[in-house]
Amino acid sequence: MLQRILAIIQKEFSQALRDRVTLGIMLSMPLLQLILFGYAINTNVRNIATVVADQSQDQASRDYLNAMVNSGYFDIVETAVDQNGVIRAIDAGQARVGIVIPPDFATDIQRSDAQVLVLVDGSDFFTSQSANAYATIIGQEYAIQIVMDRITSGGAAATANTLPALNALVRVLYNPDMKDLWFIIPGMAAMLLQTQSLILTAAAVVREREAGTIEQILVTPIRPIELMIGKIVPYVFIAMLNMLTVIAIGVFWFGVPFQGSFWLFISLSFLYVFSGLGLGLLVSSISQNQRQAQQLIMLFMMVSLLLGGFIFPRYTMPPLVRAIGNLFPMTYFVPISRGIITKGIGISVLSSQVLSLAVYILVVMFLAALTFRKRLD
Amino acid sequence: MEFSFQRLRALLYKEIVQILRDRRTLILFFLLPLIELFLFAYAVSLTVTHLPTAVVDQSLDSRSRDFIYALTNSGNFDVTLTLQNEQQVLQAIDNGTVKAGIVIPPDFAGKVLRGEGSVLILLDGSDSFSVESGYSAASSIAQKYSLDLTAESVQAGGSAFTGSSSGLPITTITRVLYNPDIKDLVFILPGLIALIMQIIVVTHAALSLVREREAGTQEQLLATPARPFEMVIAKLVPGMLVAIVDMGVILVIGIFWFQVPFQGNIGLLAVLSVLFIISGMGLGLVISAVAKSQRQAQQLTSVIQMLAMLLTGFLYPRTTMPLWTQLIGDLIPLTYFVRIIRGIMTKGVSLSFVWTDTLTLVLYAGIVLVLAAAMSKKRLD
Repeated sequence: MLQRILAIIQKEFSQALRDRVTLGIMLSMPLLQLILFGYAINTNVRNIATVVADQSQDQASRDYLNAMVNSGYFDIVETAVDQNGVIRAIDAGQARVGIVIPPDFATDIQRSDAQVLVLVDGSDFFTSQSANAYATIIGQEYAIQIVMDRITSGGAAATANTLPALNALVRVLYNPDMKDLWFIIPGMAAMLLQTQSLILTAAAVVREREAGTIEQILVTPIRPIELMIGKIVPYVFIAMLNMLTVIAIGVFWFGVPFQGSFWLFISLSFLYVFSGLGLGLLVSSISQNQRQAQQLIMLFMMVSLLLGGFIFPRYTMPPLVRAIGNLFPMTYFVPISRGIITKGIGISVLSSQVLSLAVYILVVMFLAALTFRKRLD
Repeated sequence: MEFSFQRLRALLYKEIVQILRDRRTLILFFLLPLIELFLFAYAVSLTVTHLPTAVVDQSLDSRSRDFIYALTNSGNFDVTLTLQNEQQVLQAIDNGTVKAGIVIPPDFAGKVLRGEGSVLILLDGSDSFSVESGYSAASSIAQKYSLDLTAESVQAGGSAFTGSSSGLPITTITRVLYNPDIKDLVFILPGLIALIMQIIVVTHAALSLVREREAGTQEQLLATPARPFEMVIAKLVPGMLVAIVDMGVILVIGIFWFQVPFQGNIGLLAVLSVLFIISGMGLGLVISAVAKSQRQAQQLTSVIQMLAMLLTGFLYPRTTMPLWTQLIGDLIPLTYFVRIIRGIMTKGVSLSFVWTDTLTLVLYAGIVLVLAAAMSKKRLD
């Protein structure tokens, strides 16, 4: 039996290695993604192009604008006369943010009712979010500074009470600098293993059926279970190798820390790959040709990308949508991957996720074996 | 031989029959955009509020309750767990039951009075969207609360400090243009329409020619009086129709069901969409000339889709990207059309505001079509 399985493995390997283009794309896609996330994508937007209408032109307004620019979040690229000019510049896309300082800013500050209008381009999500948050915080800081100065110079109870009464320390665990790549790597490992195990198994089975060679194999002494194992092993190998490359580059090149146990991660990834393979077998028994299998996989990938918790948090989703996410193995593996790589937690904390993954694999393998057999008969 | 409408009609008929026969693919072409739209509308939220939060209140006085109230009242934090110490909060964040933790040490009120109060806010840094929303909310609320306390204590100290109702001499009013409530769908829908159209158009154009070549039926067609030019047009028209119908369906559902406002001129958008579709087809044709099999064509289109998702400004901002990735993005027509469709739909601007992107798209379409023609002519000979 082992000999027959080995023969199938050898056949699959040489088949996979012969299709250089497919293999090349398979291996380079995740690397490309990694490089793009490492170098290109940054959701924390700084240096936002800003248009300013300073109608006061006094010391206070200049100070305020300096505070905005010095924060690094806003770059003044243009000046306008009034609010309409500012909106026009944002309409044309020359600036993403507009700051309008009304006349008599300095005197208004003295009377404590100065206002600043910050206009944000709402058609660009990440930019508007950064601009919105930081314009508020920087404005507040500047105002607090004025209050503090006033209190001290007012000669009031200028001892302990002039200090801020409360010191709030906000600490971001696991990823203190909020680097995007650190968020992405564990999810990407999960996504990659699912995608590749799905695509490779589905393609391998459907292609054989389409070419009619599956009948040829079945008339040999090889049994269906041996065929399945033999087909799966090479792709497990390729998918795991690919994932390890991504993690190695992430850790050694981009400096993403790997907090937890490497061997725990490897053994759970190994478990996880089987869930993708099972799903792939299921897809291949449902589809009639390669084209349909590809499209079905594309659909699965898209849905699990959105619902698997890789990018968008799952707890904000309505229960029905969350339940749809539960149909994909990635949903169970993202917390495991994040837990081990980013948080550095052990198996005891992850036991419920691991258990769900194991149950998932049993169910999907059972379904796959059932449908696979039916098609073969 | 002259161009003939009769031949074109015959070829068109063949293509349409072929498309209609592959029911599952056709259904998927219409279903995929709808699924995507509904998922984005109901499932995905870019702005995260109501973070599940664990609270450790070791003071249990009116000050600490006040502070916790200020945080929860903002809508950004939901207290779902009450714990005893920081260690337990770390554990709860470790195993994922909460995304944020607030730790208030003992004797909070007393310390605040002495000007040395402190709180610790912990955020789960493994979850991008949660942490980004939580971070700015927590900083800003805590800052504000601290200032209120200072003002209060100064006033209590008998100083002549007066301020506006907010306690601050400057009020920052932020107005988000075009999307005042910062609804995710208003931001996503235009880009999503553009992305879906590009996927359909590029995939269709890339696959249909390769399939014919793979099946060997291309030689049969070439043996007929049909000219290559007519064949290509006949191949492209059905894909174009599917893309246009898809776009219409998403637009209608987006506007009437999800209430995404359409500010600009729909006629202008329709005209520019056709231009976009043509450039997408050109790109698809280039792929089909490069690819040796359907499988390869499919893989190449998925690479382009991945690049389009990340680099065209559909989701991630292009301004923060280094020049070389911006240039890669420039090779994909979506980059230009995302700006155009956002300009027209969300901002409501006219052609004079988007003419540079329009012109670039015209140029782009011209270049890829010439390129595709040159490359496929070589293959046919």
